[in-house]
This record gives sequence, C-alpha cells and structure tokens, in this order.
Amino acid sequence: MERSYKQVKRMTPAMRIIHWVNAICMIGAIATGLYIGHPYYQTLIADGAVDKYVMAWNRYGHFIIAIIFDVTSVIIAYLYFFSRFEKPYKKLIPNAQNISEFKAVLINLLTLNRKKEFDSSHADSFNTVYFTIFHILLIWMLLTGLQMYVHGLGSGISSIGAWWPWMLHLVTDWTIPVTGGTLMDVRIAHHITMWLIVCWVVFHIYYQIWRTIFWKEGDISIVISGTKFVKE
Amino acid sequence: MSDRVEAVKKLFTSKSSRVETNKGDTYYQDLFEKCEARLNEMRAQTPANKLDFTDLLEENGIDRREFMKWASATTAMLMLPPMFTPLVADAAVMMNRAPVIWLELQDCAGNSEALLRADGPKIDEIVLDIISLEFHETLQAASGHQAEKQLEEAMEHFKGKYLLFVEGAIPMGMDGQYGTIGIKGETFHDHLVRCAENAAAVIAVGSCATFGGIPAAAPNPTGAVGVMDVIKNKPLINIPACPANPANMVGVILHYVLTGQVPELDSLLRPKFAFGYRIHDNCERRAHFDAGEYVEEWGDTGAQNNFCLYKMGCKGPMTFNNCSIVRYNEAVNWPIGVGRGCIGCSEPDFWDKYAYERPMADAKIKAPTGGVEKTVDEFGLGMLTAAGIGIAIHAAASAVAGKRENSGESHE
Repeated sequence: MERSYKQVKRMTPAMRIIHWVNAICMIGAIATGLYIGHPYYQTLIADGAVDKYVMAWNRYGHFIIAIIFDVTSVIIAYLYFFSRFEKPYKKLIPNAQNISEFKAVLINLLTLNRKKEFDSSHADSFNTVYFTIFHILLIWMLLTGLQMYVHGLGSGISSIGAWWPWMLHLVTDWTIPVTGGTLMDVRIAHHITMWLIVCWVVFHIYYQIWRTIFWKEGDISIVISGTKFVKE
Repeated sequence: MSDRVEAVKKLFTSKSSRVETNKGDTYYQDLFEKCEARLNEMRAQTPANKLDFTDLLEENGIDRREFMKWASATTAMLMLPPMFTPLVADAAVMMNRAPVIWLELQDCAGNSEALLRADGPKIDEIVLDIISLEFHETLQAASGHQAEKQLEEAMEHFKGKYLLFVEGAIPMGMDGQYGTIGIKGETFHDHLVRCAENAAAVIAVGSCATFGGIPAAAPNPTGAVGVMDVIKNKPLINIPACPANPANMVGVILHYVLTGQVPELDSLLRPKFAFGYRIHDNCERRAHFDAGEYVEEWGDTGAQNNFCLYKMGCKGPMTFNNCSIVRYNEAVNWPIGVGRGCIGCSEPDFWDKYAYERPMADAKIKAPTGGVEKTVDEFGLGMLTAAGIGIAIHAAASAVAGKRENSGESHE
C-alpha cells in the first residue's frame, strides 16, 4: 500500500543551534570536569610550573563552557514561555490532555510501539517533561558550580566589581545547606549530578534512535533539518 | 519550625565571607577613641592575677622590639590600621584583666595542648598564659568539691564579665549521660548551659566545640553536637581547626579586650579576620596546582619537589582558614609545608567529608541511607550501567516485537 508522508517542522534553526552547542559543551564540560575532580593525566610538558597551566586551562575551559550554558539556558527559559514557534510550557501544565498524552507516549515506549495512540506530529508531553528534567539538572549544575567558583573570590572583590561575588553568594549560598551543610557536599552534589546528566543523555540518544527506527517518521532528522515526516 | 524559618531567613540575609579590610578613616578614628577609653578604664581596674606581662617577656628572653613586631603583626591580622599597634600592645599587657573560664568537654584536650606544649613559649602563648584563667579543669590544681567551689566563685565574682572558652563537643545521646562532670554527675550539656548563663561571650575553640568534630563523626554514637547547637542566646564565636590556632585565640581575646565587642563573624560564626581566607589561594604550592603537577604517591619525585598535594586529598580548595598565612607554632610550619594535604579541619563535618586523604571523586562516601559506601564515580557508573542494561533490554525486546509487527502487517 502506498503511503504519502507530509513534512512537519519541529525545531527552528535557533533551537537546533542551541541543541548542538549544548551537546558539544556537555562533552567538554565532562572531560574538563572529570579532570578537575581527579586529574587523570599527567602534564608531560618539560617546562617550569609557571609556563604550563594544565589544571588552569581545564578550569578555564570548564568556566567558559559554564558561561555558554548560562547563555543557552537563559535563551531556553525565554523560549519556554515566549517562543513564536511552540511554547513548551504549555505541554508542562498538568491538565487532562497533557496527562493522557504523557501516559499514551509512555505506554507506546513500554509496549514496544504496539500501541501508538497519540499525535506524533508535534512535540509531545512526555518528551517535553523529559527535556525539562534536563534543564532543571543543568540549572542545578550552574548553581552548584557557581557556588564552588565563588569560593575563590573569598576576598569579596573581583575584576568586574564587588557586585559579582555578592550576587553569586546571594544566588547560590542556599545550595550549601540543601546539599548537606558543607562546601564538600556541594562538590559531591555537582559530581553526582554529572552522572545523572550522563544517564539522561544516554537514554535521550537511545530514545530518539528508537523512535526513528520504530515510528518510521524520520525523527532523528529533527535535530539536523528541523523537520520530520508524518503519515498523511 | 521557627528554627527552620530562622535558618531560611539567615540563608538569604547572611553576609558573604567578604573581608572588609578598609572601613574608612572616620570609622577607625571612632574605634580608636573607643578603644583608648576602654583601655584606660581597664588600666584603673585591679588585675585579676599577679602575673606581669612585661616581666614574663623578660624572663623568656623576648625584648621590647620583638614584642612590638608581634604587636604590629597582630594588628594587621585583626585588620586594623597601623595606628592601633600601641593599643594592641597595651591590650596584651592588660590581658590579666580578662577573666576566662575554660570548659573541657568531649575531646582530646588538643586545644589546651596547643596552648601549652609549644617548643618555647612565644608571645602568643605568653599572652594566653597571663589571661586570668579562673577555671580550667585540665590545668588547675583543685579537684572535686574544691574545683566546684572555685567555679561557683569565679562565676559569681565575674558575673556577666567572663569569657567562656569551651573545648570539646557536647554529647546529647542518652540524655547527655555519655559525659558527666564533677561530684554531682552533671552532664556536659547542663554544665555548659549553667556556665554560659552569665558569660559575656562564649568562645568555642577547636572543631569539636564548634561543629562536633571527631566525636560527631559518623556514626556519632554519643550524639555529639557543637556549642552553637546548644547555646543560642549568647554572643558566640567559633574558632575551629584541629587544634585551633593559638594565634586566632589570642586575636579573639585581644579584639574583645580592645573593643569590648566580638569581631566580625561569617555565617558559621567564625571571625572573618581568621577564616575569611581560602587556604588554596594563599598556598605556596598553588603554582603546581594550576600547572597540573601533582604528587601521585608519597615519596615520589613530585613529593620531593614540593608538588601540589591535591591528588593526595588536599582539601585546601574548599577550606577557609588563615593557616596558609599565619601557620602554626609562631609561623614555623603548617600541614602543606610539611608535605601532607589539608584535611579541612576548620570546616563542619570535616572528619567524614574532608579528611579521607584522597580527592573527593575517589573517596568512599556513605549514601544518605547509611549503608553503602561507594565513590561518587562508582555510584555514577552503577547508575549508568543500570541505564545501559535497561536500554539493552528494551532495544532487544523492541527488535523482536518489531519483527512480529512486520509479519503481522500483511493482515492489515
């Protein structure tokens, strides 16, 4: 039987750029972050300590990546509510429609695609919730990370002014009692959250490939071309 | 509940560990006049003991010049401008007018040892020698009823004026019966509360008294807590570290004698002049940290060349203390100087969370449930493996189910 497909737009160019920026940043953040937590290679540079900044470069890279994440997070938070394309927050409201859609997508996954009783032409509630978990984990990483960063500004001054450490303390000091009361707990939380994010990424990649194979709608293309195909 | 509300309020209003090193000329002029008036007032009082500071200095072979050098260094440590140096010197001489009651609770007496067992009495120790120590369980000759009486008298005589130094944690388990003192079998808790009632200020010395320290380490069989968890309605100063640095104790007493006030404190009630610095930022091996040059094992080439001890578990990057600046035993040396890492002894829960002598990523850490001990990476890899197994099962099942669906499609 001949089937006709129609092409539907799912991601704007901005969303795709942010996705790949995040993906690359993630790899960089994990590589540098693991080094900061436990320097896993030695500096094989025959130079004095003043010339080679192996840990310093790793930390610098980690901070720059954190700043890029800051920027994309702010943009994504904005798009959640004000995107002219799709406003993801609408899929997060726990109304009857979203809950039933969430369940339907989950059942589709658990029944190995035997049941598919929802419209897969637009972003579904299940995936939106899953992405939101990621963004919350990322915000948690930013807050705990900035808390560790501000330890280095103990003098209360910085090259851009005293407001910067002051603001970081105001915004992130609460992570200390929340994680367990000591500066070390913030580090442990930051490190464990990294593993949670790695697990998140693994399932995310698997799920997108799985959908592409079993739904036969070319879902994997969304993040590259911005479109997929659904049966007419 | 109200405790929690308070804690949340504090969370968002507490000042950062920012150290304000210059508060402006008018502030210091004002403070100078206040301190001068206070010292004059004290000079008129009769000393509480007959020890004379200048005599003691002479006996120990310390000349005036050396003493003035110490006074200006201490002035700098207290973050006061140089014009305060003569006042600090005066205050040191008048330390025998500061009544101190010293309590010894659940601990190893390491802080008393730190005061007493210095190789030769240096100025810090001499200052602590001449404070009017009215009661000190470990040091005093009196015992039993006599000791009790002495404590009663001191508390009565210096009511509202004495500084209460507390060394050691307070066991709260079993109604405090893990630690009792004196002929009446008074629990440490009741003892502390009774002595704190009429104190001008309470100063918790050492990690046990401040945050529970080693007695409070997991599994904390005695339910040990710090002084700040017991005494709520008094000015309280924490001087953590294991042992607390005598320089910081002298700093706090001097500050009190000089100004009549407690010094500026951070959110953990530690004086900012001592705990406003991160060890890492003033460490002599910091260049090796940034360069990525680490001691890999004890005694290796790196260790012989004073490389960074981060991979041996140094906790300098998350520990706030001034020991990388003032060091111990009159600036002779400090942990990293002798080639071993910092164990974070001035931070809360240091024994469980800092002192495992390897980087945090490699340390076996108790899960909140208490049972398993795993490193963060083992735990993370475990989660990842579980996710991987789940995905593999789902993928295999999907592949099989997908084939069935394909064969069924022809029936459509």
